[in-house]
Amino acid sequence: MSATPPPVPIAPARRSWVERISVVWVVPIAALLIALGVAWSSFADRGPVIEITFDTAAGVAAGQTELHYRDVVVGLVEDVRFTDDLSAVIAVVRVEQDVAPFIDSSARFWVVRPEVTTQGVSGLDTVLNGVYIEGSWDTAAGEPRRAFVGLTNPPLIRPGEPGLELGLRAVGDTVLNGDTPIFFKGVEVGRMGTARISRDGGFTIAEAIIYEPYDQLISDATRFWDSSGFTFSIGPTGAELDFTSLASLVGGGVTFDTFVSGGTPAQDGDVFDVFSNDATARASVFNASDVDPLEVSVIFEENVAGLAAGASVDLNGLRIGEVTNLNGIVDEARFGDRRVRLIVTLAIQPARLGLPDDPTEARALAFLQERVAGGLRARLATAGLLTGGLRVELVNDPEAEAAEIDLTATPFPVLPATESDITDVTVTAEGVLSRISDLPVEELLNSAIDFLNAGTALVADQALQDTPEELQALLGDMRGFVGSDAMQNVPVLMEAALQRIEAVARQLEEDRAVERLIAAVDATAAAAAGVPELVTELNALAAMASELPVETLITELTDLVDAAEDVIDTDDARALPGSLAQALAELQATLSELREGGAVANANAAMASARNAADQVAVSVQDLPRLLERMNEVLAQTSTTLQSYDQSSDLNRSAREALRDLSAAADAVSRLARAIERNPNSLLIGR
Amino acid sequence: MQVVGMELPRKEDIVTARDIGVVGCQRCTKVWPLGTTRCTRCGARVISRDRLAYQRVWAWWLVGLICYIPANLYPMLETRTLIASQADTIIGGVLTLMGHGSYGVALVIFVASVLIPVGKFLAIAFLAISAQRGTRSPSLQRMGLYEIVEYIGRWSMIDVFVVAILSALVQLNALATVTPGPAALFFGMSVIFTMLSAQSFDARLIWDAERR
Ligand SMILES: [Zn+2]
Repeated sequence: MSATPPPVPIAPARRSWVERISVVWVVPIAALLIALGVAWSSFADRGPVIEITFDTAAGVAAGQTELHYRDVVVGLVEDVRFTDDLSAVIAVVRVEQDVAPFIDSSARFWVVRPEVTTQGVSGLDTVLNGVYIEGSWDTAAGEPRRAFVGLTNPPLIRPGEPGLELGLRAVGDTVLNGDTPIFFKGVEVGRMGTARISRDGGFTIAEAIIYEPYDQLISDATRFWDSSGFTFSIGPTGAELDFTSLASLVGGGVTFDTFVSGGTPAQDGDVFDVFSNDATARASVFNASDVDPLEVSVIFEENVAGLAAGASVDLNGLRIGEVTNLNGIVDEARFGDRRVRLIVTLAIQPARLGLPDDPTEARALAFLQERVAGGLRARLATAGLLTGGLRVELVNDPEAEAAEIDLTATPFPVLPATESDITDVTVTAEGVLSRISDLPVEELLNSAIDFLNAGTALVADQALQDTPEELQALLGDMRGFVGSDAMQNVPVLMEAALQRIEAVARQLEEDRAVERLIAAVDATAAAAAGVPELVTELNALAAMASELPVETLITELTDLVDAAEDVIDTDDARALPGSLAQALAELQATLSELREGGAVANANAAMASARNAADQVAVSVQDLPRLLERMNEVLAQTSTTLQSYDQSSDLNRSAREALRDLSAAADAVSRLARAIERNPNSLLIGR
Repeated sequence: MQVVGMELPRKEDIVTARDIGVVGCQRCTKVWPLGTTRCTRCGARVISRDRLAYQRVWAWWLVGLICYIPANLYPMLETRTLIASQADTIIGGVLTLMGHGSYGVALVIFVASVLIPVGKFLAIAFLAISAQRGTRSPSLQRMGLYEIVEYIGRWSMIDVFVVAILSALVQLNALATVTPGPAALFFGMSVIFTMLSAQSFDARLIWDAERR
């Protein structure tokens, strides 16, 4: 080390600060500013947190499960935790700032999971990508809310969606099938949600939506009825087999009609009754009206059997009310003798009188008074040719003595009566018999047999046997359908109907109707020839009844069941569980390949994440049997209808596509695993 | 670096250019008398001790440190497969690998992505402080440390290289894709800035510190 350094020229002591401070300082300062700016803006843009409570949170994972609105991601689950008492799960969701103002009390949340329903397959993407939370709220921003209770099922009506919200209440023996479409003239115009039992257990009720613009069809005069299943009836007009549509025959359905005009449009929240069939629904229009019925009495001179409470009251052939009560009356002071007369109480619906504007009880009475002055009288008439009952008819009798409504009578005003019209029975007795013999019972049975034949042919079809995996469940239900009470009851019903026909015939034979007929026949020579004719016809009828091919029908049913069993018994069908197991085994193999690939290439984090992915596949695959089981279940539920056999039906197509997608996805994963296994070097370099 | 004499230098033997009144050109190494401000051979600025060097060192060092924070907070690698997507931070990746039992790979990543960068920060800070404040530790050792820091700088990028290669290789569309996360950019920037910091350091200051 040298002693003293040579003199060093000293730089001037004062240099400007520009020279003393390096320009490089600009860089860290800029970096700091940028960091602060980014931090601030991300903090400021951060949306609020909402808490959604679910009963269970299957598949909801913190940091992964997204919140969707109209299928767009608007939030992310940040945390999943229990409520304080562990009774529910809280999903803490960070929502985006721009949608946050809309999440008010109108918001609904539910977890979207894969589902197969009569309407098709939904949520299939969640099989692979995991579940997500779907939110729905109206389009108006409101008072923000931060805690919500999640729904178990997707709501029928999404907030802000146009449509008429109704309540549908089952009355009588109606069964409400939840989650069914609402039809109007065969077109689906709405949906009914899941049925609930009312608080007191008295009835079931379901919420329903009528889509726009069909909500215009609903007024307070509208009646709903259950259109599922079919009705089979034999009446004076012949035999009828009636069902709304094949879809509703199987999946159930509700339909409606407005029988009278002039109702006020329905409002959101109105509750309607659902009747068991359209006849009951139609009748209810007259029984249940907003306007109190006008009650009047009629005193008939005749005291004849056949009139009963509930019998209809007709005006010009249109039902305007019903008989509510009837009694015998003996009043010497009033009538001058001690004969028993019939006093009948009628309940007349003012709305049915065709009054303009607003029908009321008083206006109905005024209307009747006016008509009575013009000759309107009440009389007894036969209700139906087969039933033999009586009804009350209001007719114009221009030759009647002047009379008016006795407003002073108690308890109800008394309507004047005229001579009854019940002799018609005898005149038309022969006509009745010929109509009975003309009933197309045979045709009906033939149609039924044809129908079943068609079913058998369809079941025995080769194409059908080739696709047992789709139809196994279906056929199971076909069997159920065939074995159902309704179908089993067909022969019984037939028998009952025949017994009724026989009974009627017998009654006619035994009754005074025949006696009167004979008397009438005796009276005229022309009619005398009618008796043998009548007997001949009766014989023919009896012969026909005994020839009814009930046996054939039963045989056909058996055939159908056998054919269904044959299909179920095919090798393909038996192979079904095997191939399913094979598919699962393949998936399992894919998984283990993935795992092995992961072990080989564990040298890097990329493979580690692939392994995680494989684990997720395993989890998803565990859900697969459940999904398949569920699809089977639902297929079974939905597809007793022959329509479902149609290869182009929506359900089949969706299910097939879903399965195809699934297997394609599995293939893709296994291809990836194989590729990685073949060439692990490509992934070995690195982390 | 002014090493005088052929034999291994002893402390007493170390004579700086400044001691003998000369200054070397940092670019072309021509020696000039002290006081020369510009090398007339290559035109570079000639200065015996660059006092501003400390500020540059600290400025770059600070930016490097700032960048190193997001490099550890954000994901380095985003793996998206058909069924899942995963994003790993540096430490997260190390822990995942350790969880799978790949301790060797985990160690390599840990050393390359954590130990070396942190060590570099500490080393540069130590060199700068010791040169500024004076120290008892031998100049030769500090010089060695400086050379190690200089040398090792480029290898810190190994993590970024892996990410780049993986992202280029694994692009199977919907099936599987690997994309670099934001941390890759920050990590790369952090490495660059620490390299700049190390280069800004005027190694000649190491020799002054001990004798003060
Ligand atoms: Zn030079």
